[in-house]
Amino acid sequence: MKRLQIGIESTKLANGLHVVIAPDSTAPVVTVGIYYKIGFRLEPQGRSGFAHLFEHMMFQGSANAPKMQHIKLVNSSGGVLNGSTSYDVTNYYEAVPSNALERILWLEADRMRALKVDDENLKNQRDVVKEEVRVNVMNQPYGGFPWLDMPPVAFRNWANAHNFYGDFADLDAADLADVQAFFNTYYVPNNAVLLMLGDVKAEEGIALAKKYFADIPAGAPPPFADPSEPEQVEERRGNVEEKFGTLPAMAIGYVMPQRRTADWCAMALLDQALHGGRAGRMHRELVLEKQIAVEAGGGIDDLFGYNGPTQMTTRILHKPEYSSQATLDAFDAAIRDVRENGISADELEQLKVKWRSDYYATLEGGRGGYMPKYGLMHLLACFTLFDDEPQLVNTILDGFIAVTREEIQAAARKYLRNEKRAIVFRTPIQASAKEAA
Amino acid sequence: MMATRAVEVATGVPALASERSVTWPRRTRARLSNGLEVILAEAHSIPKFHGELFFRSGNAAVAARAPGLAEMTATVVRTGTTRRASRQIEEDLRRIGADLSSGAGADTSAISFAGLSEFAEPLLGLVNELAREASFPDGEFERERRQKLEEVKLERTQPGFLAGERLRKVLFGAHPYGQVSPSEEQVAAYKREDLQTVYRDFYTPENGILLLVGDFDSNEMLKSAEKVFGNWAGKKPDLKPGAAPPNPRGRRIYLVHVPGAVQTQILAGCHAITRKHPDWVKLGLTNSLYGGAFNSRLVMNIREDKGYTYSPRSGVNAMRQYGYFSVSAAVRNDVVAASLTEIFYEMDKLRSVPVPEPELADAQNYLSGVFSMGLATQDGLLSQLSTVALNELPDDYLETYRQKVRALTPQDLLSTARKYLDSANMQIVIVGDREQIEEQAGLFGEVELYDAQGARQS
Repeated sequence: MKRLQIGIESTKLANGLHVVIAPDSTAPVVTVGIYYKIGFRLEPQGRSGFAHLFEHMMFQGSANAPKMQHIKLVNSSGGVLNGSTSYDVTNYYEAVPSNALERILWLEADRMRALKVDDENLKNQRDVVKEEVRVNVMNQPYGGFPWLDMPPVAFRNWANAHNFYGDFADLDAADLADVQAFFNTYYVPNNAVLLMLGDVKAEEGIALAKKYFADIPAGAPPPFADPSEPEQVEERRGNVEEKFGTLPAMAIGYVMPQRRTADWCAMALLDQALHGGRAGRMHRELVLEKQIAVEAGGGIDDLFGYNGPTQMTTRILHKPEYSSQATLDAFDAAIRDVRENGISADELEQLKVKWRSDYYATLEGGRGGYMPKYGLMHLLACFTLFDDEPQLVNTILDGFIAVTREEIQAAARKYLRNEKRAIVFRTPIQASAKEAA
Repeated sequence: MMATRAVEVATGVPALASERSVTWPRRTRARLSNGLEVILAEAHSIPKFHGELFFRSGNAAVAARAPGLAEMTATVVRTGTTRRASRQIEEDLRRIGADLSSGAGADTSAISFAGLSEFAEPLLGLVNELAREASFPDGEFERERRQKLEEVKLERTQPGFLAGERLRKVLFGAHPYGQVSPSEEQVAAYKREDLQTVYRDFYTPENGILLLVGDFDSNEMLKSAEKVFGNWAGKKPDLKPGAAPPNPRGRRIYLVHVPGAVQTQILAGCHAITRKHPDWVKLGLTNSLYGGAFNSRLVMNIREDKGYTYSPRSGVNAMRQYGYFSVSAAVRNDVVAASLTEIFYEMDKLRSVPVPEPELADAQNYLSGVFSMGLATQDGLLSQLSTVALNELPDDYLETYRQKVRALTPQDLLSTARKYLDSANMQIVIVGDREQIEEQAGLFGEVELYDAQGARQS
């Protein structure tokens, strides 16, 4: 078995900024990322969607690179850029020919040092974000299902339960003072990690990080609200209307264990057993064999990157001639089987090989095919911000390879319980109108 | 119009360092005695490899029999062979850590795969089995046909699909490219025997190209390929060219009515060129200036300046026989007319005013930089190699592309825009709620109205 070993150098500047470098001179391309440890989970109450709206504002201008200049400077250097907001982190990243490295670091430092935006920028991006929500959620069949539908049903703490894309009223209420306050609180070097991957030497990268970032003053340690959930002791259910699609759908989510525990490793392989593509039990049972569902998949969203309550979720679109109950019964039968019988030694062996193969693909993985090493960047960032241990990238596999059949069955029994789950039904209004007629 | 506020410049930006040269890996090419073309390139970033087994025939070649027939064939190919049942195939793939998919576009059918290098031979063996010994089990065929029925129903609820389908019909009419997806009735009429005929005709070594990129030794890998695929035989299919596509003149609006839509999907297009055309690189650069990059004029205008949309984009869509240029944006319902005005304003501006040199240089840097990113990952490299192979581009295409981009002048772009950004003859599809958008759309041309099933209403 050939194991991949990633060379990593890391340091921490005096202002608290973590710096992680993973040199690889294969191609004259370098990927740069900055992760801030704030996501939509802990955005301010009454400001749902703000972390994401704020992410857009980070492209609107900084002290020395005004509006439109960030995008222009990256593209005109031969590179691509983007940002994304998730539960517990927000990232900004660029992949560029390596001769543009210094320019990119200058740009990222400039916007970490001082955001410079006005009301017009905010109005502009508020409009853009609303169209983003419409194109991805409100005007799409099964838009936001289940990632936006599940949290309010499954969770009780506002941090985990609110609308992460944002209620439009909350987006409208956000003002420039909110933008500055959020920036001052969370966008400080001591709440971030800078990553450089690809065509850069370790000592060169660290020297450049110091040159551009060392003089950015540290901020007060950001206050983090408590995202913990009260213990769940009953099954929770909710309903959402489906405006465009005609197939009934449901999502079933089970609360996950803490990251980086033995249970977590077992659940990750159990997830692979249940949701690992066409060989996964859910697809096999519901789509291929019983032929109740048209789609049955899902899993743990961002296994390495969550830092608070989360679920393993199965998303099912089923044929209208099967009732929700019949579909849920078939799902439950698959869950019961793994709880009662566990998995075979042969299946576990297959899962581990596939897991290792998928892990390598993640490390190299582009994002939408244009961002080399996005996956490696994401893992290094999460292992730095949450664990202060970027080298985990090279050792984390061990925990998964060591999982036993007994641990998988024990995890199934402990976590795949009705009182630990939530179910959201997404019901087409078109089909129900037909039935009523 | 554009420039409602002054654009400020950045100060103190570090200069670019000198460029490291871009070196594309050596490609190993071979043609097996049975006619199968094999192209390999080494990339040792991760202990895996990626591959594609292409056949140079797709849905267009059998559109007269039934739309989507090659896609349906490819779907059922992976569900059983004379040696392995569906479940066995899926478990065997997992056992060697592999992913595999099979599908067909307008011009090709393909089995795509990726796996651990240590299991290269068993994966090639399975690909070979799927390409030669697919058994089309009855039950699997029936299930996949039922799945496909649900898929074609679902896609009619997606604004992006409805827009693309209508534009292709308008631009290509009775030519096979005019049909992007089958109807429910057509899917219901698929027969297992039709799939087997497509399989027998298309899936042959003379019709195939095998591309492999990854962590292997090319000589060893070529030996494996020869061992696995060497004794396969089969001819290239005879294909008749389809009907000539129409050449719509004048702007016209095609409104696909989706009651209750909270946004309008705009997609406008006109005929352009294929990848083999000598103007391809020029049009690529012109497109990237217009709406093909984040920093492009259209994105800066209707997103960053006006906030009409999240995701405006333009692109050149090349198929083997024909290509078309298109521009798309999902916009707020009350700014459909305003968005179209800007879409045409930016097009007309590129057609009438030479691009300033600094802007041209920026776009040249962008296009040549992004092109080289294909080098950094196995699947990126594979995708570049397959573009070259499938379009029969010259051997030095990858090596010379950047020079060609950098040699272009403002005059080249002006003439290219005049030729291909055919503003006066753009066909404009809008998908949304008729009540809210018909009047706005009518400002740009005569309106044809359709429902989501594709039926003309007026």
